[in-house]
Amino acid sequence: MIEVKGLSKRYGQLKALDDVSFTVEKGQIVGFLGANGAGKTTTMDILCGCSGADSGSAVIAGYDITEQPIEAKKRLGYLPDVPPLHGEMTVEDFVTYAAKLHKVPTNALNTRVNDTLQRLSLFEVRNRLVGNLSKGFRQRVAMAQAIVHDPEVLVLDEPTEGLDPGQIVQIRELIRSLGGKHTILLSSHILSEVQNTCDRIVIINKGHIVTQGTYEELTRDLSQGKVFRLRVAHSAKDALSRLKGMPGIVHAKIEDDHGEDTIEFGVEKSASENAPEDVARAVMDGGFGFRELRQKTKSLEEVFFQVTK
Amino acid sequence: MSVVFTIAKRDIKSYFASPKGGAILFFFLILMGSFFQNFVVSYIEYEQRASTMGGQAPTLEQLLRAFFYNLNFILVLIVPAVTMASFSEEKRNSSLRLLQTAPVKAIEIVLGKFIATAGVMGIVLLASSVYPLFLVKYGNPDGGVIIASLLGMFLLMCSQLAFGLWISSMTNNQFMAFLFTMFGLFLLLVLNWLAPSLSGGGVAEKIIKYIASTDHLDVFLKGMISVSNLAYFLCFTALFLFLTNVSLDSERWR
Ligand SMILES: Nc1ncnc2c1ncn2[C@@H]1O[C@H](COP(=O)(O)OP(=O)(O)OP(=O)(O)O)[C@@H](O)[C@H]1O
Ligand SMILES: [Mg+2]
Repeated sequence: MIEVKGLSKRYGQLKALDDVSFTVEKGQIVGFLGANGAGKTTTMDILCGCSGADSGSAVIAGYDITEQPIEAKKRLGYLPDVPPLHGEMTVEDFVTYAAKLHKVPTNALNTRVNDTLQRLSLFEVRNRLVGNLSKGFRQRVAMAQAIVHDPEVLVLDEPTEGLDPGQIVQIRELIRSLGGKHTILLSSHILSEVQNTCDRIVIINKGHIVTQGTYEELTRDLSQGKVFRLRVAHSAKDALSRLKGMPGIVHAKIEDDHGEDTIEFGVEKSASENAPEDVARAVMDGGFGFRELRQKTKSLEEVFFQVTK
Repeated sequence: MSVVFTIAKRDIKSYFASPKGGAILFFFLILMGSFFQNFVVSYIEYEQRASTMGGQAPTLEQLLRAFFYNLNFILVLIVPAVTMASFSEEKRNSSLRLLQTAPVKAIEIVLGKFIATAGVMGIVLLASSVYPLFLVKYGNPDGGVIIASLLGMFLLMCSQLAFGLWISSMTNNQFMAFLFTMFGLFLLLVLNWLAPSLSGGGVAEKIIKYIASTDHLDVFLKGMISVSNLAYFLCFTALFLFLTNVSLDSERWR
């Protein structure tokens, strides 16, 4: 449904995008993750026909955005980085205007607009001027503009930006309910957001796609071997030197954040079967006072920091 | 095609929803009113002088000509104020994205914006035609001259608006758009007088004079409507609308 192939773009000396490629299958929700300035907005702008790339192509629902822009845009809803709003219009007028621009047939216009306003809890403010609304409400009006014509493909640049926690949950649910019927690409730097809403995740850093896959794939592939955390009652330093001598144990160190008694260590893939048992036995034999041993699961945060380092 | 009018309608509404549209109309009418009053006073003075001391009495057509020449100068201020926002403001607050991501061709956007500005200026022109209508009530000027003059002014306005839209499409700074449009329109206005010194006579001078709008407008103000002068304004307008289209479309490549 969305196909981005080899996009590159320079801003003078700065290489904003370098050979960015990914695809989004029909009905999928894909999270586009990256730090500030990673190139998310640049990619999305090119994908939606708002700016050009130096090389590469972007295809929406089978139509190339530069060769058949009208056909592609008919099937596209875009929530840009900065909400594209007209402050002097009322919410209802604005959403109606957006619907007309997207060629919603006249007989369906009213129901589409009302439905969209209801969905985004904007119905109560429909007669207020867009410019007088608070930031969160403006963001929702911008969202309304993107979904009012019920497009096949939705591209959302940081959709929950500026919303209160209740609204974040509501928008997340809206996005999830749109998935399946619609194909959605959404960018974010809030990791928990993509973790919860997205089927797949694409991570971009400094204009490069560094990794992509499902949440499970990303967290599995990136934890080479396993990481454990061990807590002992006393003489953690001695326990540490004991551990360092054991086969298959790597990167053993005192974990300062958790007090002097916690040791973190990695286990090589080949040794991961027996290592926990061996360690536990060594601790008990050494009389360090065994308290706790647990496997650390990698959060998306850690994956993110690891690949964008 | 209907999308052109959707865009135009929204733009006209927003001109008058903000104080800008009202302010433009207000200052325009105040200016034109005071100039008109001045012209009428000096007209009466000349007329009295002619009747007491003899000589040629001024005609109402001369009064009209003075009025419309003046209008031409004021347009150099008003037109940039109307066109400056068209694209610059939308670029600045990025509402242009709305048009760029809709299934709308660049030329439809340009035409929508053009019709909107022409509509606003049309209202302004209509409002200012109350002054010539005074003359119809209290004197008997040639109605054909008034109609031809209004048509000429409207065509001139359209060409100026197209130029202004082009400038506006190239910057996201309204003030710069205003300055450059005003400068350009002023240059077009005085090109006729600069022509001899710019070209040193000959064919070049003729060409420069042809480009300037003054002579073409003159014909209309004399009460004549000719195809070649009509064509001049239409071509001028079409050329700059085309350039606006190119400039807008190039956003997608840059
Ligand atoms: N018009 C421009 N001129 C010059 N450089 C630009 C322009 N637009 C973007 N850039 C640069 O391109 C890089 C990518 O920017 P982009 O806006 O795509 O980042 P982003 O991933 O959307 O970041 P954020 O999370 O802050 O929104 C940045 O280094 C930015 O400075
Ligand atoms: Mg961004």
